[in-house]
Amino acid sequence: MESPSINTSKCVAEQKGRLACSTSFQKKSRSKLVSIPGTRPSVQNGQLIVSTGVTSLDYVIGGGLAVGTLLLIEEDEYDSYSRMLLKYFLAEGVVCGHNLFIASAKDHPDEILKELPAPILDDIASPRGGEEGQAKLYDSDSQDSMKIAWRYQNLPKVQTTLASSSRFGHYYDVSKTMDSEMRLDTKHKGFFLPDELSSNSATEPSQLNEGYRALLRSIQGVIHSEGFDGSISQNKSRNILRLGLHGLGSALWGDDICCKENFNGISSLTTFLYGLRALLRSSLSVGMVTVPSHLIQNREIMDRVVKLCDTAIALESFTGLERETNPLYKDYHGLLHVKQIPHLNCLVCEVPDTKDLAFKLKRKQFTIERLHLPPDLSDTVSRLSKPDLAESAKLLNIGCGSTATGKKHLDF
Amino acid sequence: MLLDIIQTSEGGGFIIIKDTVDCCGRQLLKGFINAALKREEAVHVLGFEVCEDEFRAGLDSRYTKGLCFHDGYTDPLGWTGCLPFTMHQFTALEINAHLNQSEPVKTVTLVIDSLSWMLQHYSPVVVCQRLQELRRGGALRSILVLLHSDLHQQGIVGSLCHLATAVILVSPGMSGQYTVAKTTRRTKSGKVTHEEECFNISEDLVVSIEAQSSSCNTVAESEDYEADPAANLTFNLRLSEVEREAKENLSLPFVFSQEKKSALLRPRPGAGRILYEPDANDDFDQEDPDDDLDV
Repeated sequence: MESPSINTSKCVAEQKGRLACSTSFQKKSRSKLVSIPGTRPSVQNGQLIVSTGVTSLDYVIGGGLAVGTLLLIEEDEYDSYSRMLLKYFLAEGVVCGHNLFIASAKDHPDEILKELPAPILDDIASPRGGEEGQAKLYDSDSQDSMKIAWRYQNLPKVQTTLASSSRFGHYYDVSKTMDSEMRLDTKHKGFFLPDELSSNSATEPSQLNEGYRALLRSIQGVIHSEGFDGSISQNKSRNILRLGLHGLGSALWGDDICCKENFNGISSLTTFLYGLRALLRSSLSVGMVTVPSHLIQNREIMDRVVKLCDTAIALESFTGLERETNPLYKDYHGLLHVKQIPHLNCLVCEVPDTKDLAFKLKRKQFTIERLHLPPDLSDTVSRLSKPDLAESAKLLNIGCGSTATGKKHLDF
Repeated sequence: MLLDIIQTSEGGGFIIIKDTVDCCGRQLLKGFINAALKREEAVHVLGFEVCEDEFRAGLDSRYTKGLCFHDGYTDPLGWTGCLPFTMHQFTALEINAHLNQSEPVKTVTLVIDSLSWMLQHYSPVVVCQRLQELRRGGALRSILVLLHSDLHQQGIVGSLCHLATAVILVSPGMSGQYTVAKTTRRTKSGKVTHEEECFNISEDLVVSIEAQSSSCNTVAESEDYEADPAANLTFNLRLSEVEREAKENLSLPFVFSQEKKSALLRPRPGAGRILYEPDANDDFDQEDPDDDLDV
């Protein structure tokens, strides 16, 4: 309890403090787990979360990925954007010093590792950005900067890019690849299916197909040997394991769900995901799986896969569709659907404030934004005139007020 | 873009020519082979659907020594025992052996005619895996495959096309003399391009593009058509230098200019600061705002 008489000087000091950092409020936390770099406790439920590498994606899924959970990405048709998300996820791991596990059946993990985008570190990027910005400002100042009545000068601009107030995660430059030194510093393990399969040929009967079994074994091996399951002694510094699994369910993994339409209740992929979940839940690891869902013929399997993952998002790119030329979408490269967000230690999950999300790939960055209509500047914009409004209001009243008595206005 | 793909010499390509019963893609396939032979590259064909003579017909005889036909047509399953090439040899190891026995290392294009035949005998999963294995093996420059897409389930065709770097769907054109090719190409960086072209194949198997498809044309036209609406006006929309200056000098009613703001904020001599020292009688309890009420 504070004493009732407050010194003015104290007040001033407090206010200054408030100006310096955005808030003086500090959360009381037992800093036991937070010591791992690149993690922080979630605002909603206190779970330890890591960034996906795309700041706007973090925002959409409620802050970040909780450690021990699995993120499903349903690939777009040509796998260009989902692959990019996977690379962001891995690059974030490299920057934070996490361990990586990369599995793929199509490209060798080392190739994926080589393509990781370069992080934009603030001290390098800001001066250049500033210059550009200034040049632009100068231009627009001389030409046609708008004079605005003072009341509106300080209104915040409408923000379409999604970002939380505090900084978490890094930004990356897609046009460049990461330094090789940086990559070499991180511990990583690759799993390339053709290599692994040729080495162990002993087959036991199982519901899992060979590829998935080898993968699960390999993941289990890494988790145990590196001590991500808590088997390591307390005093040694802990770390996070990031698993990036590419193209699960495609024919290259030896999975036939893309080719078969009938479904007898058991599929290797779902069995594998059960196992993977169990491994993740009991260890300091976080996974990202991409699945070519457009190839999977049976919706039932896909629904089960979504349920087995914690967070699920689907990418739908406009490439090759009519939508590419649609003026509504001209600023974007595709739509992003959030299919599922986990309920961790609570009854309700974080619900994104809008479901209309679109992504675009700028020259350097991949961002997710709210999809909104561009302003209609033509003369023929029809505005609801007063009588129209009255009409529609009446209609509304009839709709809502069927139980209300008389012709009174509904009072909300 | 079709010509581009035919001419291109970048390695690691996997090209699928998809055809249907309406329009055969074998002519285009031969056009590809012809172009490769003229570049003096080795072309190995796994032929299951037509016999060797029919396949060679039309190809330029001056260059055909680069072409090696592995005959899977006469005896695909090896029943007679004298096997030129059978289904069972469709593994990366066997094929590489076949490729090497003929010639010292050269850039090799592998042609499979057709993959549909292969899919009758192997499960699609196996076919996908073997193709990928061949691609990564490094012995081949590119793989060129004919696929009759209407014979298979959509999922199988989709899975195969998912692996390909370029997919060409041929369909009959409107007028009959041209064939329409819908090409989808994806680069290694993940960029995808689409194009629709009308092409024609001459007697000596040279592919020539007749026209960009109509849909492409209309898009381009509409872009060109966008004229400047402010070009021919009877009134003036633009400001001269003098006019702009005059406009800028005008002070608008609700705008805080820098001078006005500083004038308002500057401490004037008459205006005093408020000094307040709280003393013991001051009651500052924020907890209970109604403290001073007699209740």
